Amino acid sequence: MKIECTIDNKHLLLTVNSNKPLNLILMDELETAAMPSRCRDGHCGNCIVLLNEEAVLSCLIPAFRLKGSKVLTFEGYRKTRFWHDMERAYEDTGSHPCPHCYASKTLIFESLLQMIVKSEAGARHDEEPTTETIVREIGLNRCPCLDANEMLDIFRSAANYRRRRRVRRY
Amino acid sequence: MNDLISASTRFPNATFWAGGTYIMSRPDYYPTKDSNDIIYLAEVPELKRINRTDRFLEIGSMVTFEQLLTVGKQVLPGLLHTTLERSGTMIVRRQMTTGGAICTRDLRLSLPCSLLALQAEVETKTCLGPKTETKWLDMGRLYDRQGRLQLKRNEVVTRIRLGFERENFSYFISPTNPLANPHETVFLSFACFYNQAVINRFRLCVGFPTSLLLVPQELDMMMHGTLLPLSSSQIERVVRSVMEEVLASTEHEIPPIQLERARGFVESAMHELNAQSLSER
Repeated sequence: MKIECTIDNKHLLLTVNSNKPLNLILMDELETAAMPSRCRDGHCGNCIVLLNEEAVLSCLIPAFRLKGSKVLTFEGYRKTRFWHDMERAYEDTGSHPCPHCYASKTLIFESLLQMIVKSEAGARHDEEPTTETIVREIGLNRCPCLDANEMLDIFRSAANYRRRRRVRRY
Repeated sequence: MNDLISASTRFPNATFWAGGTYIMSRPDYYPTKDSNDIIYLAEVPELKRINRTDRFLEIGSMVTFEQLLTVGKQVLPGLLHTTLERSGTMIVRRQMTTGGAICTRDLRLSLPCSLLALQAEVETKTCLGPKTETKWLDMGRLYDRQGRLQLKRNEVVTRIRLGFERENFSYFISPTNPLANPHETVFLSFACFYNQAVINRFRLCVGFPTSLLLVPQELDMMMHGTLLPLSSSQIERVVRSVMEEVLASTEHEIPPIQLERARGFVESAMHELNAQSLSER
């Protein structure tokens, strides 16, 4: 099957089996380094990527769903300006994920920050992630390197930087 | 919908694909030995609708868990809301679909258990060449007592229907992941309707992912008209009745941990019901 999609801002035409999981596509076809998927069945939470700006487990995304989509791996995310908000948050709080889950947890944080942006753009403020949501979503990656307080501190710090960035745009 | 019917006629061996979370989480998923033909149900707009009529809430089979949660607690039964919330993180719920969750071939998940307790109905379409047969079924007819799915190969669930009567009390518990621990997981979904401390309806569903999906039929009749709070002997009678039916319904030996959990969960549900009824006095 030929699939047109954008991966890390590169427009690609892939020839793959229609049911091939995205994490295998990224590892085999694109030799993406930041794809340490261990379990291949959605349990470890390490294979997170952003698909159309939403965090997904790439081991649960089949190739046919990529048609016309934008995929951002951690390598691509680091080249965006949004990455600086997370970098500064990690620096400010003195906490950061360990090397094994750094990519995955950072992208989950980014996905939660996108919820703030969407909730402030629209009328529904109840879409802003709650404390429980933040801890639960980050906990999708089972690595215990961050506790709940650290997760919340990082998120709040990153959210402040993200809001300031939005104010500067206007 | 016509495209779905014509696709399933042209490709009779194709796999119906909903969210894909169950299919792709199987250890032997890729590379597959079966036909690679896939009919992706998200391409059918009618399956993604949530429709509210005077009497029913109708949910398309491709509505995701996260979409359904946004409908809100005012519309969804409390039991269903709790079941959806506890089915995983938002990242996973955005991909899990109602139809996919009730049509898994080898394992039962938590959603069917709660839909059975709520007496939901499902609409199925069977593609028979140029003809299509559409029917509404009670949810219980979708599975046998061991929880095995009774859908034919060319049959697809299109909608789920719930009545608007809201339970006074609901209870859902499932502490482990059925995909990771299918032989230790137990689901318990319980919906109770009572009026002035007298029980009108008492629907309980116990599920073991690989071996059981049971709604004890006589429990509703046994508990109808009972005054709340339940006494210790009444709770013991409920627990004993459920466990006897569990043991009589299964074909294989059940791991002791599942039996013990089922017993504990039923007892816990009864105590929670008592606590609520007492707090309302």
